[in-house]
Amino acid sequence: MENPKISVIIPVYNVKAYLKQCITSVTGQSMREIEIICIDDGSTDGSVDILHELSAQDDRIRVIEQENKGAGAARNCGMRAAAGDFLIFLDSDDFFESDMLQKAYEKIEAYQADFVVFGSDQYYMDKDEYVRNPWVLQQKDIPPYMPFSHRELTDNVFKVFVGWAWDKLYRRSFVERYQLYFQEQRTTNDLLFVFSALVLAKRIAVVPEVLAHQRRGGTESLSVTREQSWFCFYDALTALRDRLVRENLYWELEQDYINYALHFSLWNLKTLASPTKELLQKKLCEEWFAALGISGKEKSYFYNQGEYQDYCDLIKGQKEWKQKR
Amino acid sequence: MTKVSIILPIYNVAQYLRECLDSVTRQTLHDIEIICVNDGSTDESLDIINEYAKKDDRIVVITGPNAGYGKAMNKGLDRATGEYVGIVEPDDYVSLTMYEDLYDVAVRNDLDLVKADFYRFSRNEKGDMNLSYVAIDSTKTRYHTLLHPCEDPSMIKFVMNTWSGIYRRDMLEQYHIRHHETPGASFQDNGFFFQTMIYAKRAMIIDRPYYRNRRDNPNSSVKNKEKVYCINVEYDYIRDILMQDEAVWNRFKVMFNWKKYHNCMFTISRIADEFKKEYVQRMSSEFRRAYSQGEFTKDDFTQLEWSRLSMIMEKPDEYYNQNVKNAAAAKKKKDPSSAQKELEAIKNSTTYKVGKAIMKVPCAVKRRLTRK
Repeated sequence: MENPKISVIIPVYNVKAYLKQCITSVTGQSMREIEIICIDDGSTDGSVDILHELSAQDDRIRVIEQENKGAGAARNCGMRAAAGDFLIFLDSDDFFESDMLQKAYEKIEAYQADFVVFGSDQYYMDKDEYVRNPWVLQQKDIPPYMPFSHRELTDNVFKVFVGWAWDKLYRRSFVERYQLYFQEQRTTNDLLFVFSALVLAKRIAVVPEVLAHQRRGGTESLSVTREQSWFCFYDALTALRDRLVRENLYWELEQDYINYALHFSLWNLKTLASPTKELLQKKLCEEWFAALGISGKEKSYFYNQGEYQDYCDLIKGQKEWKQKR
Repeated sequence: MTKVSIILPIYNVAQYLRECLDSVTRQTLHDIEIICVNDGSTDESLDIINEYAKKDDRIVVITGPNAGYGKAMNKGLDRATGEYVGIVEPDDYVSLTMYEDLYDVAVRNDLDLVKADFYRFSRNEKGDMNLSYVAIDSTKTRYHTLLHPCEDPSMIKFVMNTWSGIYRRDMLEQYHIRHHETPGASFQDNGFFFQTMIYAKRAMIIDRPYYRNRRDNPNSSVKNKEKVYCINVEYDYIRDILMQDEAVWNRFKVMFNWKKYHNCMFTISRIADEFKKEYVQRMSSEFRRAYSQGEFTKDDFTQLEWSRLSMIMEKPDEYYNQNVKNAAAAKKKKDPSSAQKELEAIKNSTTYKVGKAIMKVPCAVKRRLTRK
């Protein structure tokens, strides 16, 4: 495709069962002037064969193969190959409304936005059910006018949108100006990219309609196997803080950052299975809560008192456990 | 160097333009340049400017398609060469010695800005003029002394305007002080005002009125959805500028919220009824967030202001039902018959008749002069 408007970047790793549905819901988009860059991240289930097959049918599809380096590295690779004015990073097990790219494109152009966020829902395969979750896009904290910047959000800026990349369309010149990139680690490789963009963008726009469906409940999904990469979220959080400091934004965002760091630490802990869970708990209580700036803050510093209570209980539990030994 | 550059951002003001240009070209300070920026007027404004420019080579004409007040002002600022810069809205006018007097004070005291009191005026259909004096410092304690706005946020409490004074052009250039380039007239003077206040090191205010600000049509309500939030957009812009520097933000954040509060309250009163509820809700979210970030406290507001603001923050819908919805309904009921009655009562009063008799001759003279 010559001069595509949008580069669609899709990292692919062992998703044979859902890949075709994902790619055809991209090739079937009402917006035709796109290129689809699929980066096979060393799949072992034959996903790459499906990609080549699809690519033969539609010359807008390009297939790049790399040895297994994770989705972060795959997205960076796709970004380097991209020629479109806009970038979107989709996941290979999700599927999309056919006017997703058209609507996102119209919005980003109308408001000359740096990026646009659109609505999405979660599709639970086991129950064949679509669930709309308010936390994917907190409408009540977004101004009734566009475009806006993170300073116009009226709650913790890191909790108004989710730190994943696939529900956002980015202007490539914006991404390049700030040299945004994905961390090349197994999980939470998108948080740094998404939240850096969030606080650096001068112009953000939103399409509230649901345009994408995130597949949930599969056994292949990465979040189920976080046992091997339980420390990645911490690396993402500290990399984000380094960026905020470098951009002279940490002073205004410190309270939001620390509250989000606690929220995200607790979520990681709760969704982890034993015995890795105990390992993470020990690390958090002995090092990371302090390193993230959570330790020593007043009760009133925390936006969510339930999370603060969880933190106190963890510290207390860890102390008692230590004393018992 | 030219002593003062006077900028006129001009958009469809043919009706008032001659009165304004006469008052500027007849200034007792001769060493001025008059920069007329025509912002795509569709009436005879441009013809009038060209006509004046032919007679007076101090007039510079810049013309372009309509791009809004901010862009027009910025074009004028970019073109200015004077030691100081003043702004005149082309439906207003100024008294003859305004720039001579202000320039004199500015130079003698080495000022970054000097501002003066002013008159608001309106005319009825008969041409009768109603003037009201505005003291920019309502405490009347700070006139004719050297002030340091960049260190003293309390000066934000002076009556906000950008045209009753002059600014040192070096300061405007050093800090890139310009207007927000939003469409139409969208309160872009607020951003300019804040910037001049946070950067000026030496300033003075004068308790003499030079500027005449027209207030003929103050009650037009905002019916366009895009325009409802334009004051919020302007204050977003101001906050971005203040937050470029942590120390500046910490010094001015209280006054930023104070000023924004008053502008939001004003907006509630002037937008069409169908937008008011959503507006109060948004105002609630914004101030709740600012309060949670420690940007202001109860003590930064008067008791009455705080009783309103805290109710807006905590119970926006209740505030709307009690203070906005009912007020709007009451106003509708009152207009127009009872207002008409009140007006008749005033017209029949002795003070009005005496006042009208006194003003009759000067008004007639002025009308004849301006017609020429």
